[in-house]
Amino acid sequence: MSWEIEHILTRSAARYLRITGWLLIPLYFLMVLALYGAFLYAPTEKVMGEVQRIFYFHVGAAWNAFLAFFGVFLGGLAYLITRKQWWDHLAAASAEIGVVFTTIVLTTGPIWAKPVWNTWWPWGDPRVMTTMVLWLIYIAYLILRSSLPEGEKKYRYCAVFGIIGFLDVPIVWFSIRWWRTIHPLVITGTGEQLEPEMIHALVVSVITFTVLYLSLLMLRMAMRLNSSVAEEVGQRLLEERVERV
Amino acid sequence: MNHITLIWIIAEKDLRIEYRSRQQAFLTTLFFALLILVIFIFAFDPGSRATRDASPGILWVALLFPGVIQLNRSFQTEIEEGTLCGMILSPVDRGVLFLGKLVANWIFLVIIDLLILLAFVIFFNFAFSSQLLWIVLLIVLASVGITGVGTIFAAMVSSIHTREVLLPILLFPILVPIILAALSGTQEILLREQMQSLNRSIQLLVGFDVIFLAAGFLLFEYVVGD
Amino acid sequence: MPAQSHPLLRLSQITKTFGTIRAVWNLDLEVYPGDFLAIFGPNGAGKTTLLRIIASLTQPTSGRIEFSQKNSSQNRQQVGYVSHQSLLYNELTGFENLLFYARLYGIGNAQDRADEMLAKMGLEQAGDQLVREYSRGMKQRLTLARALLHEPQLLLLDEPYTGLDQHGSRLFTQVLEGLKEEGRTVLLITHNLGEGLALCTRAVIQHRGVLVFQAARQEFEKSEFEKLYFRAVEPGARSQEPGARSQESGVRSQESESRIEKSESRSQNREVGDQRS
Repeated sequence: MSWEIEHILTRSAARYLRITGWLLIPLYFLMVLALYGAFLYAPTEKVMGEVQRIFYFHVGAAWNAFLAFFGVFLGGLAYLITRKQWWDHLAAASAEIGVVFTTIVLTTGPIWAKPVWNTWWPWGDPRVMTTMVLWLIYIAYLILRSSLPEGEKKYRYCAVFGIIGFLDVPIVWFSIRWWRTIHPLVITGTGEQLEPEMIHALVVSVITFTVLYLSLLMLRMAMRLNSSVAEEVGQRLLEERVERV
Repeated sequence: MNHITLIWIIAEKDLRIEYRSRQQAFLTTLFFALLILVIFIFAFDPGSRATRDASPGILWVALLFPGVIQLNRSFQTEIEEGTLCGMILSPVDRGVLFLGKLVANWIFLVIIDLLILLAFVIFFNFAFSSQLLWIVLLIVLASVGITGVGTIFAAMVSSIHTREVLLPILLFPILVPIILAALSGTQEILLREQMQSLNRSIQLLVGFDVIFLAAGFLLFEYVVGD
Repeated sequence: MPAQSHPLLRLSQITKTFGTIRAVWNLDLEVYPGDFLAIFGPNGAGKTTLLRIIASLTQPTSGRIEFSQKNSSQNRQQVGYVSHQSLLYNELTGFENLLFYARLYGIGNAQDRADEMLAKMGLEQAGDQLVREYSRGMKQRLTLARALLHEPQLLLLDEPYTGLDQHGSRLFTQVLEGLKEEGRTVLLITHNLGEGLALCTRAVIQHRGVLVFQAARQEFEKSEFEKLYFRAVEPGARSQEPGARSQESGVRSQESESRIEKSESRSQNREVGDQRS
């Protein structure tokens, strides 16, 4: 094995796995605390009942989705400026996590909406529709990623799409809200009055989800780095074999 | 040579090529859009109130697909003989190149959209009144935003073999704001007597156009070349 | 030969990787005004990538490109590029193609320039014909006309002989000889050892992203070069020949003092037998 391969191996992902490991410890305690907060500490909502407790997970997941998509934007922008592949790893890992959490938002939403608004999918709600569009944009991002051959061009294109996608989100939100005002639908806001205990539980939940996002991000980054390192080592070994012939 | 002239030189070249070789492609695209309209007419009861209420949506669905086909083709011709590369080799600014391609796509799209609008008015039995000029304005404005994002995405997918499917997947979610604004404007014009929110539709379209044009203009240099 | 002049183009430590594949690896090259440099090498040697980097169509992963004229925004004006593809619009006429590109290059009298180039390439009769109706040879000459429109100082030719018949090749060679007499600087990639060696003032062999041989044309014989080429680029052929297995030391050509680098020592700083240095 040549010095090159050893050099590549030193860049492997051990550091990220170590960070993930360290994050898991606070994450464990936070999760216990968040579950306690959501199911025991927070009072039952008077109108909606027990089903409202999904709120703590729904909002936490939505927060993570937002964080992740900000990660895609940031990674893309930084990649275009610095041309360091690390930023593309960050964007890619964030997009995957973002899609997962957006899916969670879109599945916990109907569970909550059905008993409260008597509809699975309140299309008129700008939050629901924006989340739906967000989900479509970032699945498109992942499809674009998988369609392009590995290389610098792929990172650039994904960065461009990630930036446009993220800039689009507030515009989508704004246009849907405006569209709603001229097309009134039956469903109105819930007018929730959050009690202090509910707010406490929510804050803990959002912090827990943030740490969960960071752990998943580090894990995915480690996997991405490892697979690109593995590919590179494979390529070098192949080259060396060819040269020995 | 100033930038406006260069933009027009690039756009004129595209339109000349379209005119010379792609009349057939033009007719095919138009026919495809008409087919969409006809399928909707078969799917719903053409005379009913409900179909009439849904007609603005049907119009915009029929207007979106030809745009995607045109955008894909616009870079297909440039890839075939490497002419996109030829333009990149020249000292022309990337932003000028973007605007040149965009102007050609936009002109083509507006022409085809107006023909679809004509067919739509006839099929759905709307009156030919000055009201329709407002829809023309909406089409002209929406096409700017559609080609603004579309040109940059089409350049991105032009080297991917699944580009025909990929372009709408990338484009449609991003275009939601434009479609919503154009759609509600059209609803105002066709279905309501008084048009109190039409102004707002137009303002929004102009705003979205500016944002998408600026994003495309600034990011285009990252999607050309290897 | 303008031996002591300033290099028109200097590449230092150019590397380009695609994903994990190295197309160009730590490459140094100097091109002097009036050079007609032929680049030989098997498929996948990174020749096209090298040309694309010089044409600034591709950014190198690392390394530097310097043109003699410092103004980097003018680099595009200095380079004319003939690629695998024609870079021409099939649905435009020959004249329209040249006119379009002449305008993109900001040439003042674009129409006259387009006419002039058509005449120079012997295409004045075909100017109003669509390019799609051109023969391969005509199209290739129009491609060259397109690359020369803006009088570039450096002309890059990527396998211009591909697909040309004997007649077309001969015509094209005549045009290139004309350019050589004009004293233009040319980088020519070709598989055709005969045509390439007949034209060039300097020959280079690129293999797996590395320049493994470099010498002025008068320093070696054609037959010798052919032998050298196949030894250098074909590992299979090397191992079959007894005595050619000396990969540790590299193969030496006595006349030219040029070294064939063995691939393992890529990362070392190479001194290629360039007589000018």
